[in-house]
Amino acid sequence: MTKLRPIIWIACLALLPQTALAHLVSTRFGEFYSGMLHPVTTLLHLLSWLAIALLCGIQQQGYSKWALLLFPGATLFGALIGSWFLHPEWIHLVNIASFLVGLLVALALRLNPAAFIALLLVFGFSHGFANGEPGLRGSEFVLYVSGVAAAAYLLMTLISAATRLTVTQAPWGIVAVRAAGSWIMAVGILHIGFTLMIPAGLE
Amino acid sequence: MRMTDGRRTTCLRFLIAGVFLLFAVRASAHAETGVAGGLVSGLLHPVTGLDHLVAMVAVGIWGAQLGRPAIWILPVTFPMIMALGGLLGLSGLPISSVLVEFGIAFSAVTLGLLVALQLRVPLWGAAVIVGVFGLCHGHAHGAELPSAVNPLAYGVGFVVATGLLHLCGILLGELKRFSAGEKVIRVTGVLIAVLGLGFVTLNLIELF
Repeated sequence: MTKLRPIIWIACLALLPQTALAHLVSTRFGEFYSGMLHPVTTLLHLLSWLAIALLCGIQQQGYSKWALLLFPGATLFGALIGSWFLHPEWIHLVNIASFLVGLLVALALRLNPAAFIALLLVFGFSHGFANGEPGLRGSEFVLYVSGVAAAAYLLMTLISAATRLTVTQAPWGIVAVRAAGSWIMAVGILHIGFTLMIPAGLE
Repeated sequence: MRMTDGRRTTCLRFLIAGVFLLFAVRASAHAETGVAGGLVSGLLHPVTGLDHLVAMVAVGIWGAQLGRPAIWILPVTFPMIMALGGLLGLSGLPISSVLVEFGIAFSAVTLGLLVALQLRVPLWGAAVIVGVFGLCHGHAHGAELPSAVNPLAYGVGFVVATGLLHLCGILLGELKRFSAGEKVIRVTGVLIAVLGLGFVTLNLIELF
């Protein structure tokens, strides 16, 4: 009888199956991480953010510090608004236009402060807007938009710091940064051309 | 024949893995699909086409031979000009594919000869030569773009692969610092030119 007892227990438990929900795919890591992963797993956002971070790394240090606050702030604002409104087509066009930042990097341009801030605010807002998630409410919504802003902050901080370090410490640093900018610009030219020239459904 | 315990455990693991494979489903974890496929096909496109590969390496070598500022101006401007060529390919303009293929083949011949003869031309001249050939290479890549699994990822793949081939060429070109290295570079240039002639011949055979 003692030997049978565990088998009876197992049989009883087997009669009461429940959905485990133990897998991370179904829990989606939680809404904060979902918000963080959304922009960095989408090439359109990732490449544009890389270009903006590279540009930030080659600006004068005083101005580039602003980006660490302004870009995530604009992204957060965009994600908040984008979660409440339908996504218009022009937001997508502004986002693909942000690939042009790659050209500024390739030219190693130092922008005047007003232009640099305007660029951060416009592209931060448009990318944040596109990352808005209309289906979320309450704490899930707050966590999600915080995740999007955290991703913008982390990427901007890490890449711009790495860029500054490379440019100032390595003799080939500025060449590597300019080459990265030209690669992003080249991808942008192709993506803009593809978006405008190939009608949806024909690709 | 008796199985050892270790071997039995390994077989059991493969068996369990095999059973799990039978229940494989799509992850569908993100809205953007086909990134890996697009990226890989983009990365492989310039590498698997020998005509693209040798010409891109030659651009890097020639840039290194010309020295500053060509060593970095050519690889920085080339991807953007190539992308403009890609736009031509995308636009469907009636540019003969034969013309493009001959352009690519001639790029290998010309760049190979420039490397082998160590010809020095003004920066604007080098930019024009490389730019014209960049348009041809870009056209060939761009024409493939609409059929890619993920066109954006495909674009990233072929731009990165092209850039890395330039880097290989620049590193090869830096052998010029050694006397034996200079000979190696010139022989490489001859080989590239000969390969280019081979591509021209193949194109002529296909044409007639």
